[in-house]
Amino acid sequence: MGGTAMTTLLAQNLNSELADAVLREIPVLMQRLLDTGETGTIDLRSLPMTDWDRRQLATRLGEGEVKAFVTVGGTSTVIETQFAGVWWIRHEGADGRIAAEQVVVARAPEFLLAHPADIEAAQRRLSALLSGSAEAQFGEAGHG
Amino acid sequence: MDLLEVARGPALQVSLAIFVFGVTWRLLGLLLLPWRTDHSEPRGTAPSAIVAVLQANLRKMWPHKTFVRATVFQFVNGYVFHVGLAIVVFLFAPHILFIKSLFGVTWPALPSNLVYAVGAITLFSLIAGLLHRLTSPVLQLISRADDYISWLVTLLPVATGLLAIIQVGARYETLLALHILSICLFFIWFPFGKLMHAFTFFLSRGATGVRLKHRGAQI
Amino acid sequence: MAETRTLGEFLVERGVSRRAFLKYSSYLATLMALPPSAAEAMAEGLAKARRQAVIWLSFQECTGCTESLTRAFSPTLEDLIFNFISLDYHHTLMAVSGEAAENARLQSMAENKGKYIVMADGSVPMKDGGVYSTIAGRTNLETLHETAKDAFAVISVGTCAAFGGLPHADPNPTGAVAIQDIVKDKPVINIPGCPPIPDVMTGTVAHILSFGKLPELDDLKRPKAFFGETIHDRCYRRPFYQRGLFAKSFDDEGARKGWCLYEVGCKGPVTYNACATLKWNGGVSFPIQSGHGCLGCSEPDFWDKGGFYRPLPTPLASVREHVTEAAAAGAVLGGAAAWLARSQQNAYKSETKKPEEA
Repeated sequence: MGGTAMTTLLAQNLNSELADAVLREIPVLMQRLLDTGETGTIDLRSLPMTDWDRRQLATRLGEGEVKAFVTVGGTSTVIETQFAGVWWIRHEGADGRIAAEQVVVARAPEFLLAHPADIEAAQRRLSALLSGSAEAQFGEAGHG
Repeated sequence: MDLLEVARGPALQVSLAIFVFGVTWRLLGLLLLPWRTDHSEPRGTAPSAIVAVLQANLRKMWPHKTFVRATVFQFVNGYVFHVGLAIVVFLFAPHILFIKSLFGVTWPALPSNLVYAVGAITLFSLIAGLLHRLTSPVLQLISRADDYISWLVTLLPVATGLLAIIQVGARYETLLALHILSICLFFIWFPFGKLMHAFTFFLSRGATGVRLKHRGAQI
Repeated sequence: MAETRTLGEFLVERGVSRRAFLKYSSYLATLMALPPSAAEAMAEGLAKARRQAVIWLSFQECTGCTESLTRAFSPTLEDLIFNFISLDYHHTLMAVSGEAAENARLQSMAENKGKYIVMADGSVPMKDGGVYSTIAGRTNLETLHETAKDAFAVISVGTCAAFGGLPHADPNPTGAVAIQDIVKDKPVINIPGCPPIPDVMTGTVAHILSFGKLPELDDLKRPKAFFGETIHDRCYRRPFYQRGLFAKSFDDEGARKGWCLYEVGCKGPVTYNACATLKWNGGVSFPIQSGHGCLGCSEPDFWDKGGFYRPLPTPLASVREHVTEAAAAGAVLGGAAAWLARSQQNAYKSETKKPEEA
């Protein structure tokens, strides 16, 4: 087995107990959310976690009722874990590369919510569509 | 030119040149002196000169039992320091690389983590040695500037080496430059002070051995 | 070419929501070691950013930096954002447009006075009036002075622009200097590397767009977010260094096992860059992972540090001749000292010899 493959394998299978440490931080963030409504984010890519740690954490957190796929500059996956209010977000670039990965403690991650500015712009667009003539409606059906 | 370039460049060149110049001068100046011929008959038990030299050097590796109580600290601490320094200097991979660049020879290194531990022990033994010198009335009577300077130029490489390892106090390249510069200082001072004992202790112990054995005295 | 829309409005017209900013900002926050909470502030900043005019000047360079920046594997968020940045002028990419291109540059400078960013790659030759690199009949020095005059900031891209790079290496026949040696009255950011990692270049510009100000710089004017740590401190082969397991030569047993490359000249311990974490070509690999020691290419004068294969703990230059001369001098002095001692002793002996032994 080549040197790079061996060291990569080592990196992937090392248990650095970081999964435990991250897990223990989550109830604290959940309490803060309940007390003050403040959301908490743990940036998984900024910690020296090995692949084993990440798999371990994902297994312990599990999957809940919600799974959302967001297509913007690549795919982002938002999953509610088996613990209400604890979300796992994975952002991928258009080339499939993982750009960011977070555990977010919130009622719903900010990322899923529609931004007021976007709603405003969309409302304008929809109103324009509706207030346009009937021909315009038929002619532009299918354009978003 | 940044500090590291100066350290690895002209500083090393100059200091190594001074070291070689100084050591050659002092050693040749010593060895080319006329041998003192003892015209008296050697005692029957007197061995050859070479054997006497070896015997004396071996015997002086541990004090005579009369003096053990009084000198045991110096001996033990001395060994801890010298062995520790030898391990750090000759069995640490980057140092072996340095020696290889000068002499072309190389040998296996110890795990670096182990060398760091030995380095820390060496540092403590150096400090213990100084404290002993400062608190011993006998040593205070006979200590000179040379003793303290030699101690300092030996301490600085060990201390800066450890600082570079743990990267405390400045950026790594600055610490490495300071470490190399402290070695340069060591090389420059070496031929002109008591550090020359590295070359001469074997000779002086040997000379004492020859003289005493010639008369049949116990070393 | 005046653009009045914000970046947010620009993207909305393309059917991209504010989520794009949040996503890109989360990525940038990780990249630049900012707390995750900074991502929202960055996203807001990016959405409100106005189109940023950028003038790219290419001087004494190999075009590797431009190549690195334009290497996009597939359209990503960065491309969306960078299409928004008005790359009003690029020496190399616009080379075919001649006079029209030069006019575009002057027009952009006038329209965006005090607000445009100059990105420069390549060093500037100074010898013989700077004739060794001229574009459109004018020396690089003239062009730089003229263009930087009303700029908001100057970003030196690549080691040649940041520190002089290859043209500056011994013997520097063209008198090449870094951009910062010429531009003294404007903020300068250095993004060194030979070439720099694309994410580092785009991340720095995105930071400026989001926050409206320059990122925190180290004493060599490099963004601390990317150049704050050495390769050594983030290298995956570090455990081998600690344990003293080194490759002794390329393709020996240690090299094949992926051991530390310190002994074959790796400059990782004294090189500040993000290669060990961000890596190259979309995070695929970086020199050490591919089996070659770090060259130290984001540091000044890395070409003149004794050689890429000369390990760090060795002297930069040969000590042999000086040592031989020193030994000879020492031998002479030592011999003279001994001779002096001997002649003094002989003189003493002859003075004290008793008459009948004469």
